[in-house]
Amino acid sequence: MHDFEFAPADSAKHAVDLLSARGSSARVIAGGTDLLGEIKEGVVAPDTLISLHRVAEMRSIAQDADGIRIGAMATVADIAAHPAVRAEHAALAQAAAAVATPQIRNVGTLGGNLCQRPRCWYYRNPAFPDCRKRGGSQCYAHGGMNKFHAIFGGDICPSVHPSDTATALSALAATVTIAGPNGERRIPIDDFFTPPEANVLAENALRHGEIVASATIPAAPAPRRRRSVFLKAKERQAMDFALASVALAIDIDADAAAPAAVISSARMTLGGVAPVPMRARAAESALAGKRPADIDAAAIGQLAIQGARPLSANRYKARLTAGIAARAVRTLLKAAAAP
Amino acid sequence: MPRPFSAVGKSVPRYDLPQKLSGEALYAADIQLPGMLVGKIARSPHPHARILSVDAAAALRAPGVRAVLTSFDAPDGRIAPDLPILDAEVRFVGDEVAAVAAADEYAAVRAAAMLQVRYETLPFVTDARAAMRPGAPPVHPGGNLVGGKPITLARGDVDEGFAQADRVFEMRFTTPAHAGAALEPRAAVAKWDGDRLTIWKSTRGAHADRLNLSLALGVDRSLIRIIGATMGAGYGTKDETRLSVIAAVLARRAGSPVKIEAARAEEFVAGRKRHSTETAVKIGAANDGRITAIHATTIMDTGAYLSSGPGVVRRAGQAALYLYRCPNVRYDGYLVYTNQPSGGSYRALGAPQGHFALEVAMNRVADELGIDPLDFRLMNHVGIEGQEGERITPPDEIIDTQPVEGGVPFSSNGLRQCLDQGAEAFGWRDRHSPPSQRRQDAGGDGGANANADGGADDNAANSAAAVNIDADGGPDSVNTAAATNSVNADNDDDGLRRGSGMCMFIYRGGPGGKSAARLALNPDGSVQLSAGLMDVGEGSATVIAQIAAEALGVPYEAIRVAFGDTAHTPDAPLTAGSTATFSTGSAAVKAASELKAAILRAAAPRLNADAHSLDIADGQITRADGGPSVPLTELAARLTADAQPLPQAEASVTPGSKDYIVNSFGAHFVEVEVDTITGQVRVLRYLAAHDSGRILNPRLATNQVEGGVSQMLGFTLSEQMLTDPISGVTLNANFLEHKAPTIMEYPPIETLFVDVADPIGPFGAKALGEPPSIGPAPAIINAIHDAVGVRVQDLPATPDKILDALDALDAANQAPE
Repeated sequence: MHDFEFAPADSAKHAVDLLSARGSSARVIAGGTDLLGEIKEGVVAPDTLISLHRVAEMRSIAQDADGIRIGAMATVADIAAHPAVRAEHAALAQAAAAVATPQIRNVGTLGGNLCQRPRCWYYRNPAFPDCRKRGGSQCYAHGGMNKFHAIFGGDICPSVHPSDTATALSALAATVTIAGPNGERRIPIDDFFTPPEANVLAENALRHGEIVASATIPAAPAPRRRRSVFLKAKERQAMDFALASVALAIDIDADAAAPAAVISSARMTLGGVAPVPMRARAAESALAGKRPADIDAAAIGQLAIQGARPLSANRYKARLTAGIAARAVRTLLKAAAAP
Repeated sequence: MPRPFSAVGKSVPRYDLPQKLSGEALYAADIQLPGMLVGKIARSPHPHARILSVDAAAALRAPGVRAVLTSFDAPDGRIAPDLPILDAEVRFVGDEVAAVAAADEYAAVRAAAMLQVRYETLPFVTDARAAMRPGAPPVHPGGNLVGGKPITLARGDVDEGFAQADRVFEMRFTTPAHAGAALEPRAAVAKWDGDRLTIWKSTRGAHADRLNLSLALGVDRSLIRIIGATMGAGYGTKDETRLSVIAAVLARRAGSPVKIEAARAEEFVAGRKRHSTETAVKIGAANDGRITAIHATTIMDTGAYLSSGPGVVRRAGQAALYLYRCPNVRYDGYLVYTNQPSGGSYRALGAPQGHFALEVAMNRVADELGIDPLDFRLMNHVGIEGQEGERITPPDEIIDTQPVEGGVPFSSNGLRQCLDQGAEAFGWRDRHSPPSQRRQDAGGDGGANANADGGADDNAANSAAAVNIDADGGPDSVNTAAATNSVNADNDDDGLRRGSGMCMFIYRGGPGGKSAARLALNPDGSVQLSAGLMDVGEGSATVIAQIAAEALGVPYEAIRVAFGDTAHTPDAPLTAGSTATFSTGSAAVKAASELKAAILRAAAPRLNADAHSLDIADGQITRADGGPSVPLTELAARLTADAQPLPQAEASVTPGSKDYIVNSFGAHFVEVEVDTITGQVRVLRYLAAHDSGRILNPRLATNQVEGGVSQMLGFTLSEQMLTDPISGVTLNANFLEHKAPTIMEYPPIETLFVDVADPIGPFGAKALGEPPSIGPAPAIINAIHDAVGVRVQDLPATPDKILDALDALDAANQAPE
């Protein structure tokens, strides 16, 4: 394992300063559940690890009139257990609870979960040094074993984004606050994740010297009429990444039981099927403005996989994604109908 | 009437339980010796290459590095006919290239990476079928098909049998490479004292390892001591000795003890795994359900080295040859070298692969003949009389534990009881009745999984409907079954379907090789039991102590156990083939009887009694004349005080029978829920019925069943080692992607022993360790078919395969008639 210097930061600003000063051979470490694995696997070899573990201010989960702000150092377990998250943003609580194992959820953080690297087994294995994501010139998965890879947007690199919380936060229209040398900036989460076409070496918009400070979920227009759900398909019940996942959030403009109630807005994001958490916009459009009774969930599921282009070994992901998207719709309609 | 048992049949705790629970038990990697170095192995990045040179100069200059070993300077010995200590040719990605010994782990890892190795890459082949084609790259000289031809085992005439059949069924199955994934990776510590070598290692046969090391190193056996450390699971995969041989050579070269412990990835790739197989099954049946012929053909990938492959390929044919009463059977087994990681022994040695193919195929036969799978098996299973035909084995010869010939009966055969009692306990006959009327219903969902409503409990089993998605479109009984079985309606269709499956199996285990046990009265009146056998974690030492206690007439607590150290124990075979209790237990019975006679001879003059009028019960010497009993402790104390030798006895037996086949049997029943949306299969409940003779320790026996079933849930549903065909690199040498089940996957497992005492085994016992791992794959796959109408023929039955099969089924159902 590569030797590194361990540099604890006292504040977010301190971390940014250290990061800027140490250059590209420095990495930020939070829970370390992904980064240490990458170092052991020889995927990365940082000389300095800037630790955020002392930065208490980044751990908080705070609610105000604008929404819920979750510090990047809040653990995945904290998020899953937080009463306000559970009450108002079920999709995020469910996504957090579906991550890995209790041990990993106890140390893994929101920032780490959003910034974790892809699990592609060619990228992760030093035997494949010419992998594009490692700076090389080819993709081993395209002609190789690609059962777990992308069915959308994988031409350059079909590795899928592994984060469950990102998928939920996207459906919940969260923003990401980034701290950097020039202070903070705040961007929609869908702009935070970047496709391989933009830069195959990174999965997000962080620039040199920047770290994730927090994510904010805006308050729903009418919290009682917001429903959200996260469903994750995997090969085993714990310690597994999503084969496909779906997060769906809908707002209903009146009491759902009222005959005239319609879905005023819907956001659906797919995980495990593309290099970024992917909005299913055709499915969203088909939901918006509809009365719950008029919705054909199976048809929405089919819209969710519009444009899918499976690889040699992952055709199943199309059926799976359509199926869980439809299931998410059914689940929310049922929940909306409940008193 | 025999007296009731006092020690066997009771769930006494494992003799080593306190040490294990308190952390005092020493596993091989726990051994620390003064001045001990750490060894590390450099492994091949190529699936097939010739090593041209190894430049170790830089590594040797690095701080803390004490020795390097390469194929160019390794001793000449061989560990197996196809396996030198280190070879100049490497045959899979991860094969051993060279080794270093250094002061600590980090120095060793660095030094191994600093070795400059020049390779000439060679053509390679990672597929067994391709490896058999003319012109395929030879993995070893002499061709890739081991022995140049398949092994063929046959009885009767299959062509004749197929000619008599009304229907002939053919199916093809594959099973993946599957790592044992023991919690404890392999480890060995080697230490030289002059010309004497001591090795601590994780092992399933200390004496076999000693012989092996002796041959490899050219050191006389008498100079080698193997100490079998506490085992963090065996499963058969720890029977290789290359690691300890390398440690021994490094230790001699460095002049210090050396420890080598496999890292997890090394354990996956360079340990031994269950062989991947392809099996074709052809079954001839009469319309009344009689089986007229069975022909099975297995192609088995042994990987880069032979290891125990010949035994494994043979056992893959057991089911086809012996499970069903059938006069015409044939098995052809092809064992093939490839440039894959090496296969080897792994719990039940080929029997799970063979049974999976046969028992799933048999379900199809039953379905298409319109016969309930249980009735079909009740009609056709092999009985106590064995197979029809002529006995060929000479009358004075011990019968093979499973001869191909007919005309030889079983010593005992509880298969029918397993089927009857298992079906009854499972509720097989009313499995398709509505859940509320079932004998047992599984609990609801939990967790934020795609098969639950966002983590909310939503027990799907409450609605009833008739969605018929059965694939085979067979006779009415099948469709009826599927129709009544579907439990969910379409409007609120949550996509969940339940089904039940079953299978039966046979396992040739029990007798095993020549085995010995030594018993001696200690000065404090306890009894020392010494055996060369290794308790690999299954508890054989505890059970054999129970046997010795019972046979001698002392409490279990009076037995002190010393196993698996070659310095203090008689020669012993491997703990393999589920033979430990039977074979060493038989030796313990004999040794106990001899020790008892010796004790009574020593006691007789002191008690003024004839030895024949004395007996031992509950640790006391009892008198037929009703006089006062004398505790063994007192006799031992008096003999010690008088400087008299304490009685001891050593017995060696070749267990088995000249008249009977000794085999174990079982039947497994399972209910599953298939999520037709996610393709995920959840096992709701599992019932395992076993005939392993009389059960000597119910708790340990139940552990074995639960362990075997749990382990093979992974083989059935999620685990496989995946090798990239283009590079030969294993892609998932880790617990994240070699998906062993977690506690979340384990269903409630109910274990039922039919408890038919065997007349040959010690106190009626038969083989148990491996048989539980045979049933899960066929039982679960049959249950999936019952639920959704697809028969998965390629393991593991992961969601992608289920979904692809459902896709094909939908397409077939939508096609015009």
